[in-house]
Amino acid sequence: MLATRVFSLIGKRAISTSVCVRAHGSVVKSEDFALPSYVDRRDYPLPDVAHVKSLSASQKAPWSSLSIEEKVELYRIKFNESFAEMNRGTNEWKTVVGAAMFFIGFTALLLIWEKHYVYGPVPHTFDEEWVAKQTKRMLDMKVSPIQGFSAKWDYDKNEWKK
Amino acid sequence: VARQSHQKQTPDFYDKYGNAVLASGATFCVAVWAYVVTQTGIEWSLSPVGRVTPKEWRDQ
Repeated sequence: MLATRVFSLIGKRAISTSVCVRAHGSVVKSEDFALPSYVDRRDYPLPDVAHVKSLSASQKAPWSSLSIEEKVELYRIKFNESFAEMNRGTNEWKTVVGAAMFFIGFTALLLIWEKHYVYGPVPHTFDEEWVAKQTKRMLDMKVSPIQGFSAKWDYDKNEWKK
Repeated sequence: VARQSHQKQTPDFYDKYGNAVLASGATFCVAVWAYVVTQTGIEWSLSPVGRVTPKEWRDQ
């Protein structure tokens, strides 16, 4: 059975949002999304309402007589943030990259544990001397002589090609 | 035109801690990976090309 049916008042939406707000002691301010609202969005440049709604006497006169500061004041009445302000970048990327690197570093801790508790001993075929002999034997056999391994060895100068 | 910013933007979490998070995260990451790569004895099996000097293998 739907939980909202069990709590019958809430299920019938008989408790309005404002009552819930009052119950919270008006800590939570809920927006009525049915009303025109103000937004700072660059893809919606002229919002449905002004930021602040009053106009003083001087601003009801013709605007060409106003000083620059008064014109800016008028702008701030109609708009909250300018385009430059609403589009400003943040330093969020530093937190993102720093946290990502932290977790990549944490992965290294897991590798330390794995090497210690899971891996067995490194086989003797990885010893430095064995690898050196193995390398010469591969070159003597001409392993991948066209584009691969032996192709990178200079048989005349007896050294790896530069 | 001298524009007055109409409100001082108070620093947010990223302004206050972004640099610290970035620096400490990067330092921790580099340090622990440097340890893993060099000190744990993990065999990375790097290519011998350009690195290993071949050694005679036939019994004399």
